[in-house]
Amino acid sequence: MQMCNLIPVAKTVGSNRIVPTISIPYPLGDPSTTKEEQWKLRYHRTKVALESLATDINEQTVFRV
Amino acid sequence: MRLEIGNFYVKDIVFGESLSFKNGILTVNKEKALDFIREDRRITEAELYIAKPGDRIRICPVKEAIEPRARLDGRSIFPGYTGDLAKAGSGVTYALKNCSVLVAGRHWGGFQDGVIDMSGEGQKYTYFGGLNNIVLVADTNEEFERYEQQKKNDALRRAGHRLAEWIGSCLRGLTPEETEIYELESIIRRDPETEKLPSVVYVMQPQSQMEEMGYNDLVYGWDTNHMVPTVMHPNEILDGAIVSGSFMPVSSKWSTYDMQNCPNIKALYREHGKTINFLGVITSNLNVALEQKERAAIFVAQIATLLGADGAVVAEEGYGNPDADFVGCIVALEDAGIKTVGITNECTGRDGQSQPLVTLDEKCDAIVSCGNVSEMIELPPMETVLGELEALARDGLSGGWAHDEVLGPSVREDGSIIMENNSMFCGDQVCGWSPKTMKEF
Amino acid sequence: MKKAILYINQFFGQIGGEDKAGIEPEIHEEHIGPALQFAKTLHAEITHTVICGDNYMGTNTDAAVETILGMLKDKEFDIFLAGPAFQAGRYGVACGTICKAVKEEFHVPVVTSMNEENPGVDMFKKEMYILQGGNIASKMRKDVTAMVNVANKILDGLPVGSASEDGYFPRGIRHMVWLKDKKPASERMVDMLVKKLNGLPFETELPIPKLDRVPIAPAVKDLTKAKIALLNTGGIVPVDNPDRIQSASATRWGRYDIADTTALKGGEYKTIHAGFDPAAADADPNVITPVDALKVLEKEGFFGRLHPYFYTTVGTGTTEAEARRMAREIVPYLEEDQVDACIMVST
Repeated sequence: MQMCNLIPVAKTVGSNRIVPTISIPYPLGDPSTTKEEQWKLRYHRTKVALESLATDINEQTVFRV
Repeated sequence: MRLEIGNFYVKDIVFGESLSFKNGILTVNKEKALDFIREDRRITEAELYIAKPGDRIRICPVKEAIEPRARLDGRSIFPGYTGDLAKAGSGVTYALKNCSVLVAGRHWGGFQDGVIDMSGEGQKYTYFGGLNNIVLVADTNEEFERYEQQKKNDALRRAGHRLAEWIGSCLRGLTPEETEIYELESIIRRDPETEKLPSVVYVMQPQSQMEEMGYNDLVYGWDTNHMVPTVMHPNEILDGAIVSGSFMPVSSKWSTYDMQNCPNIKALYREHGKTINFLGVITSNLNVALEQKERAAIFVAQIATLLGADGAVVAEEGYGNPDADFVGCIVALEDAGIKTVGITNECTGRDGQSQPLVTLDEKCDAIVSCGNVSEMIELPPMETVLGELEALARDGLSGGWAHDEVLGPSVREDGSIIMENNSMFCGDQVCGWSPKTMKEF
Repeated sequence: MKKAILYINQFFGQIGGEDKAGIEPEIHEEHIGPALQFAKTLHAEITHTVICGDNYMGTNTDAAVETILGMLKDKEFDIFLAGPAFQAGRYGVACGTICKAVKEEFHVPVVTSMNEENPGVDMFKKEMYILQGGNIASKMRKDVTAMVNVANKILDGLPVGSASEDGYFPRGIRHMVWLKDKKPASERMVDMLVKKLNGLPFETELPIPKLDRVPIAPAVKDLTKAKIALLNTGGIVPVDNPDRIQSASATRWGRYDIADTTALKGGEYKTIHAGFDPAAADADPNVITPVDALKVLEKEGFFGRLHPYFYTTVGTGTTEAEARRMAREIVPYLEEDQVDACIMVST
């Protein structure tokens, strides 16, 4: 699966399981937020990424976070 | 708004007693110019050279190019940057044509810096290989970024802009050889014949991706990262309202010279009243998060719709993830029923087999392509190098490398080079100069 | 003089029609059929003509190819030509098949010609020059001329023109060219714009290619037993960048041991990606490679085990060909550790 911010790029290159991240330079933790908020976001999205791997899909899918 | 650009064509540049322009000869007093440059205490070392088409000169690492100009009313040629903030785009500006001030590092380069060859096979890769250039080669005390791959190049770039203004001042009191007139009245007060023509906006996507200040293009001295898409008069751009930045693989950069002379804007002006009704410029941006990219596309399409645009032209200053801003913007405009043409570079790889843009959409059915950033270029040694050629290999320039098992380093002991087009200074010329395209093989 | 060998089918080899389509490969020293036409202008001597029945090539492909490669083994030749095959489907596929085999075995350039309706075009156009030929044999002279034009450029060491200039099917390769009339992009833009606005036909300079589709991998059955690997294109490396991965247009990758690491620390790891502001990832590399989150999720039993290395390259300007090669180099390490699934973080 692919974690990325630029969903259109992931779709164009043919990724099938996609979990959105928040930006290009810091996909999993906005430095303008607290360390705790960053951790929560990262833990959550990484968990969704793992779940996506165990999810059956029939087409390109962007998982909700 | 009416802008007159009085042109003075430079046939030759020489160093001499005093700064002057006469019979096509630009004379520069080198010591006075250097004294002026050294007023910025950050400049630790500076030297001036002349580089003309046909000279056996290679310049590297080149950081910026500026057209020398003068504003007769005393306003700065880059308001908010080299002088006080004032409105650009109206009145009289004098320009030294076929001439640019180039700034190159004495030693150190970075991702955003490039190469110019003044003769031989490499000359055609940049617009500046065909101009008469005054080349400032300098070093600074900006220790914080000396070994950084991304450099703000602030002292050097400012020195270049100040020098261009200083040199341009010799035009005061002279009579231009010709005058270009750029005049565009209010969008809702065009003559009826013009209003019958399809109306067009030019959408510029200048480089604005760096969240730290000091790297992006500037609008009236203000960092474009702060900006949401807005409407500008094309004259503002032709008259120094936008100053180039220092963040992008350099072939995709639009130098300040490119902004001052933006061929896309001039081409739309030429058609105004003949085949189109040129409404104006939507200055957009390039972003680092999908939501920002989508928001900018919404803004652009909305503004274009409200202005009543039938057509649009979108041009991006960059490649890679900015392709998503570029394609997203075209798709949003097409979805709003606005017929759109895009101008871009491509990244198809050294072998030409990669996907040309990182995102694609079938709605992008009218694209002008300006070249391949990753085209491989091999050039023989050049008699004279201005700057430090080793920077191409050593300092992380976007088209150079220090090691490669097969190709060796970018810069060889004999002074020959092998590089990607990525490091040709403003080589892609998406601003409209590009005499190149991409073909299927 | 340089040397060439021509491949044709039983019909153009003047052996016979459909009834002779089963004949096995033959090789002749004389010029047969189209060879006479080629010989007039080709900058090489046609030393041999190979003839094979279309049905034999179609049904006994491996044997036919092997026989022909055997016949060519002791021959010297600088170029291999096949056809023209016009719209004849079996003949076109045969030309493509043998050209591909000869090119791979002997590393000589190959040139053929087919009509756009020929199924051989889509099968082989990425692998060789296939001239855009006529649909019927009466176009022989024209098609041979077009093949000779390209063949002669190759033989003379001259660059072959673009697909549209020299009339072959695009091979999926796009390169930069200088326009002969030097017409600047701004003027091309205006021309295209005015045509598009007025509903007139125009030609884009970047035809949008068909998008890649990848087969969907089945879901991991039991996440709690799965072994997961972490990869990224965001350039996260130990601060000394031991594998000297390039900051753009990368051709190199690295893998870094995180078996005993609970989180990546700034100062120990950083990003060398030149396409974005590195400040955030330098301060906390976990924002790109979430090793900290994965270690906790592993501990919590949310998934089985984390593969003890994470893998890095840089995505900016990196070409698909290089990316594919790097992936092929990485995959054996993942297979060796029986990794079930991967998380790829892209910037």
